[in-house]
Amino acid sequence: SGELMDLIRTEGRRMTAAQPSETTVGNMVRRVLKVIREEYGRLHGRSEESDQQESLHKLLTSGGLSEDFSTPYPPLRANVIEAINELLIELEGTTDNIAMQALEHIHSNEVIMTIGYSRTVEAFLKEAARKRKFQVIVAECAPFCQGHEMAVRLSKENIETTVMSDAAIFAVMSRVNKVIIGTKTILANGALIAVSGTHTLALAAKHHSTPLIVCAPMFKLSPQFPNEEDSFHKFVSPQEVLPFTEGEILAKINVHCPVFDYVPPELITLFISNIGGNAPSYIYRLMSELYHPDDYEL
Amino acid sequence: TDAPRCLADLIETFRAQLRDDPDVASAVAAIRALLGFLKQDRGETIQGLRSSLLAAINTLSRVDSSVAVSSGGELFLRFISLTSLEYSDYSKCKEIMIERGEIFLRKVSLSRNKIAKLCHPFIRDGARILTHAYSRVVLRVLEAAVESKKRFSVYVTESQPDQAGQKMAKALRKLNIPVTVILDAAVGYIMEKVDLVLVGAEGVVESGGIINKIGTNQIAVCAKAQNKPFYVVAESFKFVRLFPLNQQDVPDKFKYKADTLKTGQNLTEEHPWIDYTSPSLITLLFTDLGVLTPSAVSDELIKLYL
Repeated sequence: SGELMDLIRTEGRRMTAAQPSETTVGNMVRRVLKVIREEYGRLHGRSEESDQQESLHKLLTSGGLSEDFSTPYPPLRANVIEAINELLIELEGTTDNIAMQALEHIHSNEVIMTIGYSRTVEAFLKEAARKRKFQVIVAECAPFCQGHEMAVRLSKENIETTVMSDAAIFAVMSRVNKVIIGTKTILANGALIAVSGTHTLALAAKHHSTPLIVCAPMFKLSPQFPNEEDSFHKFVSPQEVLPFTEGEILAKINVHCPVFDYVPPELITLFISNIGGNAPSYIYRLMSELYHPDDYEL
Repeated sequence: TDAPRCLADLIETFRAQLRDDPDVASAVAAIRALLGFLKQDRGETIQGLRSSLLAAINTLSRVDSSVAVSSGGELFLRFISLTSLEYSDYSKCKEIMIERGEIFLRKVSLSRNKIAKLCHPFIRDGARILTHAYSRVVLRVLEAAVESKKRFSVYVTESQPDQAGQKMAKALRKLNIPVTVILDAAVGYIMEKVDLVLVGAEGVVESGGIINKIGTNQIAVCAKAQNKPFYVVAESFKFVRLFPLNQQDVPDKFKYKADTLKTGQNLTEEHPWIDYTSPSLITLLFTDLGVLTPSAVSDELIKLYL
């Protein structure tokens, strides 16, 4: 299985290099590697699965260095395939699992704010709307204005929706009870990489002491830390900000159109994922359950 | 009898290690000395071994009362207890202990390199770093950053009363890193120019806070006020089973040097050598167990001690 893991790692590295902002690719590769390690360990006869991590305890009691994966086991392949199928089933059910928790968090006559378009948040709100009556304010999230599409979909379910521009977020925040958002990635320290404009929303919510709830499935949890401020940025064509028709001005100025925002963990109240609700300070624990530390660097 | 001679040997081994290798951490020297003590202990029972080890650790803390030696000693005791639970035959148990002790010492000697590998990606090109007093782990991290071809500059606090900052500055100049030594009082002034703060730790407590040279708490508070990341680098054997709620809760035996405590004079006139920095001021801890948020530290300690 050592060879299998090397193969997967090489492919994983190629895929993540192709599109670094799509962190879920790397996350899934790491999940599969962890599955292989577990199945191998089970066949190898190791009784503990929880001792995968480095710990002080392990430092003191272990007799030697880490194991190699060279012993071949015929049933390993079938076991790994079965485990991966289980993983697939889990992935397909994530949106439903998150939506099922909606009723605990949304109460009648509340005003909820969200930004941009997130399928997870859409399912979350729709599930709550079946039993509760509440209002939603959607920040349009310029320049792509995905907020408009979110508003259309929500209003089809008879949820009272209002669209407003990003500049009005702070002004309206005093009337909002909760902020519920989706995200692109969750980082290892509990921070977010989300659509541009989320940091503003988070700061406004913190200022008004409004809870900020992030709905995201566990496959978005990535073991990277925000070590270089610019490493997660993705810039697209500034055409959306200032169209090419304004040629005269374009020659004299620099135009940027960043897609993502970094939101630090202190601004977030709760993460709702397919395994339940967690505080940002607990994210490190979830990470150790999903991935093996040797796989953090693919 | 044998006992006094062994203890004197123990102190001598400890001191000799610190003399011969100035780069070794005092906790590692303590553990090595205790392992040597274990090898020539001629007791026949685990209980006897434990009590003689307790006496040995007490002697060592009377020589060097720092947090690191105390945590090293406690870790060694824990190591003995864990191993003795697995094997009921004393002589076999002792053999395994000695073997594992050697493996443990070998692993911890690699810990500084592990930490440097984890931490240096957090130092960007052109960064300005603030550090405090003299820390060998921080030195190793900065060395690794230089090896990966990053350019950065460092501000070091002078760190009175022993001017440890000057020692750090000298070591950094040898690595060709541009260094500026600043007054301890100038931390608030310099904080706006700095990109990140990187300090070592003498001990990491259960809450995720740290015990370090006096002045660290001030730097952490300033960094928090100006939103600068405050990073701590510490090896895992520095994790200690204390939970101070404020500065007064840190035991006196850590605050003052062993010689001062022995004279027994009124401690209110003395200046403490260490202070406690609370976990809310710390951004991340880099240890050989990985990059941890302060809340993850207590988890690690629980895994070991319970």
